[in-house]
Amino acid sequence: MSMLTLGLLFGAATLLFMFSGAPISFALGSVAVLFMYLFMPASALNTVTQNVYEEMASITLLSIPLFILKGAAIGKSRAGQDLYAAMHVWMGRIPGGLGIANVFACALFAAMAGSSPATCSAIGSAGIPEMRRRGYSPGFAAGIIAAGGTLGILLPPSVTMILYAVAAEQSLGRLFLAGIFPGVLLVALFAGYAVVRYRKEYRLAEAEFLRSGTASALLAHETFSTREKFEMLPRVVPFVLLLIGVMVALYGGFATPSETAGLGALLALALIAVIYGVWRPRDVAPILTATLKESTMLMMIIGMSLLFSYVMSFLHISQSTAEWVVGMHLSRWILLATVLVMVILLGFFLPPVSIILMTAPIILPPLKAAGFDLIWFGVLMTIVMETGLIHPPVGLNIFVIKNIAPDIPLNEIIWGVLPFVVLMLLAVVLICVFPGIATALPDAVMGAVAAKP
Amino acid sequence: MTHGMDTGPAAVRIDPDTPRLLQPLARALLWVNQAMVALGMVALLVASLVLTYSVISRYVMQASTDWQDEAAVFCLVGATFLCGAFVQALRGHVGIEAIAGWLPKSLDKLRRMLVDLLSVLFCSFFSWKSWTLFHEAWIEHQTTSSSWAPPLAIPYGLMAAGMTLLSLQLLVQLSARVNALSKKLPGTIQ
Repeated sequence: MSMLTLGLLFGAATLLFMFSGAPISFALGSVAVLFMYLFMPASALNTVTQNVYEEMASITLLSIPLFILKGAAIGKSRAGQDLYAAMHVWMGRIPGGLGIANVFACALFAAMAGSSPATCSAIGSAGIPEMRRRGYSPGFAAGIIAAGGTLGILLPPSVTMILYAVAAEQSLGRLFLAGIFPGVLLVALFAGYAVVRYRKEYRLAEAEFLRSGTASALLAHETFSTREKFEMLPRVVPFVLLLIGVMVALYGGFATPSETAGLGALLALALIAVIYGVWRPRDVAPILTATLKESTMLMMIIGMSLLFSYVMSFLHISQSTAEWVVGMHLSRWILLATVLVMVILLGFFLPPVSIILMTAPIILPPLKAAGFDLIWFGVLMTIVMETGLIHPPVGLNIFVIKNIAPDIPLNEIIWGVLPFVVLMLLAVVLICVFPGIATALPDAVMGAVAAKP
Repeated sequence: MTHGMDTGPAAVRIDPDTPRLLQPLARALLWVNQAMVALGMVALLVASLVLTYSVISRYVMQASTDWQDEAAVFCLVGATFLCGAFVQALRGHVGIEAIAGWLPKSLDKLRRMLVDLLSVLFCSFFSWKSWTLFHEAWIEHQTTSSSWAPPLAIPYGLMAAGMTLLSLQLLVQLSARVNALSKKLPGTIQ
């Protein structure tokens, strides 16, 4: 059988199994086992399980459940509301300050919890009603939260980045660092947009007031005393310290990323025990159960995706496809654009975890051959996959918001989110033009590497 | 991904379509899954403690850290596989349900049955191969290649036990779906 036929058959089988609605992990595993049986030596089937175990038994990959535990501990406590309230009080004076406060609260929370949907639901459940009460349009309020939540997979510790580091064989510490400035860039873009949009809505509200005399809540002013501002701090500071402490442990060379995960999970549990009194077994059990549910599902997908890529590479499907892409001699920027568009398309259906593990063996060799820095590309790919979290049809964050604020019509949420998708793509372009946004920080902290985009 | 979104343990119910013959197994699985979740919780906490201890022992006691990573790996692999059946009981292993909405109801019932059948076949095959792997590691006294060298039979056994539980859970769910297929078409009250 020719390589092309085999490749097409493999692709068709994958699509069929995936779209059958079977759990992603079992679908990928079945495709892998089926092709092993048909096209690989008989002995291959005997080592299926050993393969899966050996791929999974990496402490870097297995730090994922612990990072999820840390996120769940913080996500289920009142930390989100407190963080949000503090941001609100401190940003109250700036025009559009409430919107900015939401963006900042999302970013900080995302950095602590490392999860997009958790951020949306923690900050959004306090933020969306508050913004709407102050006259922000529902779509705008929903957009801020949906987009703010996506910062979760860019700022460390991000599960997506852990997988990318493993799949691309890049340093996880370096990748985490590379995500920080782009994360800050996105925060700035989102906050800037919030101000512009606020002004527009303010002017509309003013015009409406002059015309009909009905004052929107947007026109009301509110100030907080210095005392109020400082009263908010004690409950927020410990979490910010946790965030900084974990970063110091990681980059000060005290702990490996996986040790940081264990340490972070334990500290997060200790913090919510001390601050919110969440320490009884019946309080902590739901956090652990949610963690097990999430991480078991993810680790199963990861294990089976690794088996899937192993078969793909054993049958030389990934190599041939990669060679074919290289053989097209596309100019490097067209190659990059094609790859990113493909990632966006895959993001319509697949979670980031599967996109990375399934495509890495195909897309990374051509990109490397074209001279792109794979750390830098990891950041781009992460931002592009983040847009998949907020655009239809599966945009998970949109549905989280629909849960928090069921009365906002879905199309209003989607229209509110779209400008943020545009901003994220703008950030992608900026990072392409100025690669230093991603690479400067890791180069400064960990020393420069040779290849540059 | 749905990190930490849902609150509290979701209630696991036995599908009313489960054939009477398999009801005792379904009930036993409910109980076993609860026990596995409890074990998983302990494993998560132990892994966190072990990794934290690893940082402390290196910097405070200047001790070498040779066993911590592997111990944590064993805990987390165990938690992952042992809780697989629990997650399946909640139908928590996500799939792409995009086309499900387009199919007519009766055809969709068939699709759901076939999906479960595929999952049962795959997981049973995987369990069988895990047990042979475990058996081999056990009689040959295989160990990991580190200086601590714990027996590989431990993680292989956890994997095999977990996948077997998962296969049983899937079998119960499959039987319920086959039963549902043979019942009257939607529209009539069952």
